[in-house]
Amino acid sequence: MKTVIRTWVVNGKKRTLEFPPMRRLLDVIRETMGLKGTKEGCGEGECGACSILLNREPVTSCLIAAGQVPDGAEIVTIEGLELTPEGQELQRMYVAKGAAQCGFCIPGMLVASYAHVTGDHPDNSDAALREAHAGNICRCTGYAKIIEAVSAAADHLSHDDEDDDS
Amino acid sequence: MSTLENTEFLEPATLAEALRLMADESTRATPLAGGTDLMVQWEAGVRPPPARVLNLKGLAELADLKMDGKTLVIGAGVTHAALRRSTLVRKHAPALADAAATVGGAQIQALGTIGGSIGNASPAGDMAPSLLVANAQAEVASVRGARKIPLPNFIVGYRKLDLAPDELIVRFHLEAMPDGACEGWRKLGPRAAQAISKVMGSYRGKMENGHVGAFAVALGSVAPTAIRLHGIEQWITGKKLDANTLNEAEKRAAEEVKPIADIRSTAEYRKWVSGRLVRGFLEHLASAG
Amino acid sequence: MSASVSSTYRNVGKGLPRRDGEEKVRGLAAYADDIPVPDGWYGAIVRSPVSRGRLKKLHFDPAFDWNRVCVVTPEDIPGENVVDMVGRDMPFLAYDWIQFKGEPLALVAAPTRALAREAAAHIKPEIEEAPSILTLREVVDQFHRDPKELHQMVAQTISKGSLEQGFAEADIVVEGEYWSGHQEQLYIEPQGMVAFPEADGGVFIQGSLQCPYYVAPELIVTLNLPLEKIRVKQTAVGGGFGGKEDFPTLIAGYCALLAMKCQKPVKIIFDRNQDILYTTKRHPSWIRHRTGLKRDGSITAMKVDFILDGGAYTTLSPVVLYRGILHSTLGYKCPNVFVDGHCYRTNTFPNGAFRGFGAPQAIWALESHIEVCAHKLGMAPEEFRLKNALRLGDSTATGQIIAEAMGTPAVLENTLAHSNFVEKQKRNSRGNPAHDVWYGVGVSFFAHGAGFTGDGESRLKAKAAIDLELLDDGEPGINIRISSTEMGQGTFTIMPQIAADGLSVAMERVRCPQPDTKYVPDSGPTVASRTTMIVGSTVFDAARKLKAQLESYASATFFGNAPTELTNGTFKNSYTSDTLPFARVAKQLIEEKGPQRVYHQFQLPASLKWDQKTFKGDSYPSYSWGCNVAEVEVNPLTLEIKVTRITSTWDIGRVINPVLAKGQIEGGLTQALGYAVMEKMGIKNGVFDANRMQTYVVPTAMDVPEMDIHFVEYPYTHTALGAKGVGEVAMDGLAPCIANAVEAATGVRLTEIPITPEKLLEKLQATASSAI
Repeated sequence: MKTVIRTWVVNGKKRTLEFPPMRRLLDVIRETMGLKGTKEGCGEGECGACSILLNREPVTSCLIAAGQVPDGAEIVTIEGLELTPEGQELQRMYVAKGAAQCGFCIPGMLVASYAHVTGDHPDNSDAALREAHAGNICRCTGYAKIIEAVSAAADHLSHDDEDDDS
Repeated sequence: MSTLENTEFLEPATLAEALRLMADESTRATPLAGGTDLMVQWEAGVRPPPARVLNLKGLAELADLKMDGKTLVIGAGVTHAALRRSTLVRKHAPALADAAATVGGAQIQALGTIGGSIGNASPAGDMAPSLLVANAQAEVASVRGARKIPLPNFIVGYRKLDLAPDELIVRFHLEAMPDGACEGWRKLGPRAAQAISKVMGSYRGKMENGHVGAFAVALGSVAPTAIRLHGIEQWITGKKLDANTLNEAEKRAAEEVKPIADIRSTAEYRKWVSGRLVRGFLEHLASAG
Repeated sequence: MSASVSSTYRNVGKGLPRRDGEEKVRGLAAYADDIPVPDGWYGAIVRSPVSRGRLKKLHFDPAFDWNRVCVVTPEDIPGENVVDMVGRDMPFLAYDWIQFKGEPLALVAAPTRALAREAAAHIKPEIEEAPSILTLREVVDQFHRDPKELHQMVAQTISKGSLEQGFAEADIVVEGEYWSGHQEQLYIEPQGMVAFPEADGGVFIQGSLQCPYYVAPELIVTLNLPLEKIRVKQTAVGGGFGGKEDFPTLIAGYCALLAMKCQKPVKIIFDRNQDILYTTKRHPSWIRHRTGLKRDGSITAMKVDFILDGGAYTTLSPVVLYRGILHSTLGYKCPNVFVDGHCYRTNTFPNGAFRGFGAPQAIWALESHIEVCAHKLGMAPEEFRLKNALRLGDSTATGQIIAEAMGTPAVLENTLAHSNFVEKQKRNSRGNPAHDVWYGVGVSFFAHGAGFTGDGESRLKAKAAIDLELLDDGEPGINIRISSTEMGQGTFTIMPQIAADGLSVAMERVRCPQPDTKYVPDSGPTVASRTTMIVGSTVFDAARKLKAQLESYASATFFGNAPTELTNGTFKNSYTSDTLPFARVAKQLIEEKGPQRVYHQFQLPASLKWDQKTFKGDSYPSYSWGCNVAEVEVNPLTLEIKVTRITSTWDIGRVINPVLAKGQIEGGLTQALGYAVMEKMGIKNGVFDANRMQTYVVPTAMDVPEMDIHFVEYPYTHTALGAKGVGEVAMDGLAPCIANAVEAATGVRLTEIPITPEKLLEKLQATASSAI
C-alpha cells in the first residue's frame, strides 16, 4: 500500500500526515487525525454530516480522496469552528434556540452555517438560509430552529461588524 | 472505509503530463476530478476499484472561464459553484448557471465539475441540456492532439462517450446567448433541493415581431442521453404563440420523447411533463421575449 | 387550561437549553463509532441471497485462510438460536427455513472491516429456493381470494354495539380503501454497536439504542448468560424514531456472539446501504372503511378492515397492530364499531417500530375517510369533525369514557381560528383551469394514546431511582438513574428540570447520566411517547420522596424536630424561620449515612380497566390530541406539490419544556411531510429499491414550510406533573391533512401515500376520461 505525505493547516495548526492517497478525506480526519466530531451519515455525499471547510468552501469529506488535497490546503472541521468568533456565535445560537436534537447532523450543519455567514455578502433571507443548508439532512428538527439559530447568529454578527466600524 | 487503498494515485502537475500518462497503457488511469459521482460508485461497489486514478483536481489548464469572441469557454474543471457565481455564465448562458445552482447542495456544488458531469454521461446529468441549447462543443485532448465535437455527437449513449482511451475532456465551447434572446432552466425532482432529476431541461429562444424567431430546447432523463427536441424546434419556429399553438406544441413535444420508468418517476408522467415543460418554456419565451 | 399550575414550578414549563447542547455543537458527543475500542475487531454478516428457501449448507472457501478471522454459525450460539422478542419465531442465524433476502446466516469478525467483509464473501450458502410473497399488494389480493392461504402473525378485533343496527339506521354508507407503504426511520447516525468480552465471561455492550432493558434481557436466552452478566450502556444516539427500539437487540447480539467467541471487542457500524436494506421499517398498510352516516351528520356505524405487512418475522408487529386498530376510529363518536385487524407475513425484512407505531397508518386512513364522509354529506369538513369529535363523557370504540378534560375539540377549534381555515377554504382551486396555481387547504384532527396500550404500564412497573451523592465537583447533588435514553428528544434536559422541581433544588445540582444497566433500574423502554409522561412522573415522585427524607433529616438533625421545608435549595425551620442551605444538610447526611438512593415505581390508577382479550376498557391511560391545517400549492403545469404552511395545535398535557416540545412537533411534522409526499420504497429483486440516501428521499430545509405551532394544556390528572406524550402524535396526522388539501387544490383524492405528481396525473387523467 503506497502512501503520500501531505502538510495541511488543520483547524489553524500545521499538520503533516501520511496516508494512502485514495483514502477518503473523512477517514483521514476521523481515523488518522482522530477528529471524531466529523460524522459519516451516508458515505455518498447526500446527508452532509461529514461536511468540512476545504479552503473556506464547504465540502462533503466522504467524496474526496485525501490525496487530492494538496500541500498547504486549509481544513476546518467542527473542532476548529470554535476558534473563530463566527463559529462561537453560531454554536451559542444553536444551543440557545434548540437547533440540536440528536446532534449527529450538527457538526456538518454548523459547517454549512459557518460557510454561509462568512461568505461574501451573505443573503440572510429565510429562503437563502434554507438553500445554504439544503445539502445537510436533519431528521430530528424540521430545520426550523436551525434556520432560526443561523438567522439570529447572522444578525448578531452583522451588528458586531457595525460596532467595529463605528 | 474505502476499498480504494490499493489504487495507484497519479498526480500530474500539468495537463501535458496528464496526457502523457493517459497515452501510455501502463500508466493510463481513471480521471478523477470532483469525485461526486465516482467516489460514490466505487464505495458502493457499483464500479470496481480502478487500478489507477489520475487526479485532475486543481489542474490550471482545466480552469478556464472566459469569452473568446462570441464563444463562452468553460474548462472541464470548473465547479458548479463557480458556474453559478460567474457573471460571464449568468450573462451568456444563464440556463447553465441556473442548472449548476440546482446540482446537489452547496457541498456538492463546490466539488462537482462540469467536465465530470458530462464525463459521467448520465441521462440525469443536470449540465447537458443547457450545453445542448447553447450548441456546445466538447474539446478533448490527447498527446495525439485536440478535437472539438458537438455535444450530441460526444455523448453517444447511456453512459457512453466518443472519447478515446487516451483522451481527456479539456473544455467546452458554448455559443453565447444572442442579443434579445432568453433562456430558461427547469428541473423536476422528488424534492425541492439535492435531487436527482425526474425530468429537466433548458431552452434558448428569441421572439421576432411576435413570432418565434428561434427556439432550441433540450430535455434530460427522458432518453438514454439528454436530447434536443428538433421536431418541436422546427415546428414552432415562425409561429405565433397563441393558445392553440401552445396546446399543439405541448402534444408534439410529449410525442417526441420516449422515456422509461425508474425509481424516480413513471414513463407516463415523464412523457406528459415533457410536453408541459416545453409549453412552460414557450410561455416564458412569449412573456420574456 | 392550567397556566397557573405551571407557574408554581421553577424549571418545569421553561424552555431551558438542552443539557447536551454544548457537547453536540462542539462535536464532542461520542456516538457508537466514536468511542475508543482498543484492539477491537470488526464484525460482518453473511446474508441470504434469496427471499425464501431451505438452507442446506454453508460452504467455506477452502482457499481462504480462516485462521485470520473468527466465524460464528448457529452451532456456536451458547444458548437458544432465537431472538427473544414478542414472538419467538425469529432465529438469530437462520439454520433451516430462510424467510427473507438478507437474513443473517453466519457472522464473521476480523481485525479490519475489509478482511471481515472479505471473509464473509467467502462463505457461500447452498439454498433450496421456495416461493415467496413480497408485497402488501400480493397479500391483499390473496386476502380477497382466500385469507387462509396467508401466514397470519396476529389478528385482533374491536367490537362495540351492533354494526347491523348501525348500518340499518344509516341514511348513506361511505366506503373507502387507503394504502400506505414502507417508511424508513433514516436516523442520520446508522446503527452501531460494540461488544466487549468481560473477564467474568459476561459481555459489555455499548451502542446506539433506545432501550437498554430490551437489549439485555432479550439476549439472556441466546447468550446463555444471566442478566447481571449482560451489561448494556447507551452511547450518544444520533436519532432513533423507533428504528433503535427493537433492532439493536439483533446487532448487539451479533457483536456479543462474536466477542464471546473471539474474546476481542467486536464492533459493527452499518453503512447507509446496509442500514436501509437490513433494518426495520414502518409497516405498510391497507385499510378499508365502511361508514354509516345520518343526514344530520352523525356517524351510526364504522367497520374497518385493517391489514399490516409484518415482514418476515413477528418482532413487535402484534403491538403495532393493536395500536393501529385502536387508532383506526379514534377521535369520533360512534355507537357501533367493528374493527378487524390482521398482520400477515411477507418475505421481506421484518417491519418494526417507527414513531407512531401503527397510528400514522390508522389516522392516514381515518382522516382521509372522514373528509370523504363530510363531502358525501355535503357538510364542511370542519363542521363534520366538530359535530362528531369525542367530548368529555363520550366513549371510544373500546368503551373507554373520556373522563378528564382533554384537548378535544379545543385543538380543532384553536387551529381553525389560528389558520383562518373557513375563510381560506373559499380559495380552494379544485382543479380550476383558470387558476395559475392550484391552492388547497386541508384539515386533520386526531388523538394519540399516551403511554403503553391498556394496562401495559402495570405489567411493566417502571422504576426510577435518584441518588443523593457527591457530584464531580465534590458538592452534594443528585443523579437521576433511569433507563430512558436521550436520542435527541430531550430526556437529559427535562428529567433534571422535573427532578430539580420535585426536590426543589437548583438545576445545577442535578445530573442525568447516560443509562447503563449496571447503575439504572428498568424504567421501561424509551418508546410510546411515555418517557416524560410515565418516567418523568416517576422521577418527580422519587424526587418528592427524597425531599421528604431530607426534610425529616434536617428537622431532626438541625431544627429540633420542628417542621422543615426544603424550598429552592434552602431548608427552613417553620417555627424559627432559621434556614440552612441544601448543600450543608445533604453533605452531612452523606457523611453520616453514605449516599442515599430513593426508588419510585409508577402506578396506574386503580380505576383503569383493560381486557387484553376482548379489547374492551381503557385502551390508554390518557390521550394527546392534535390538529393540523395544511395549505398546499399544486403547479398545474407540472403537478408538483408544495406544502406552503402548516398551522397546528397540540394537547400534550403539561408542557415541560416548550422549546424541546416544539422541536418534537416540528421534527415529527417534517417526518410526516416526507411520509405524505416523498418517502417511497418499492421491492425490487426481493429487497427495498430505495436503498441509499440518493434514492430514499426525505425533506431538506427547502421542502419544509413555515410551521405555526400552538399548545393547549390539559394536564393528565393522574400524575402530579400532568404531562402526556409528545413524541409520536406529531407524526400521526399530517399525511391525510395534505391529501385533503391536495383534493381541495386539484379536485381529486389520492388514497395512497406518498402523494406524488405521478399519481396525481394518473388520477386526473382517469377522472377526465371517465367524465367523457
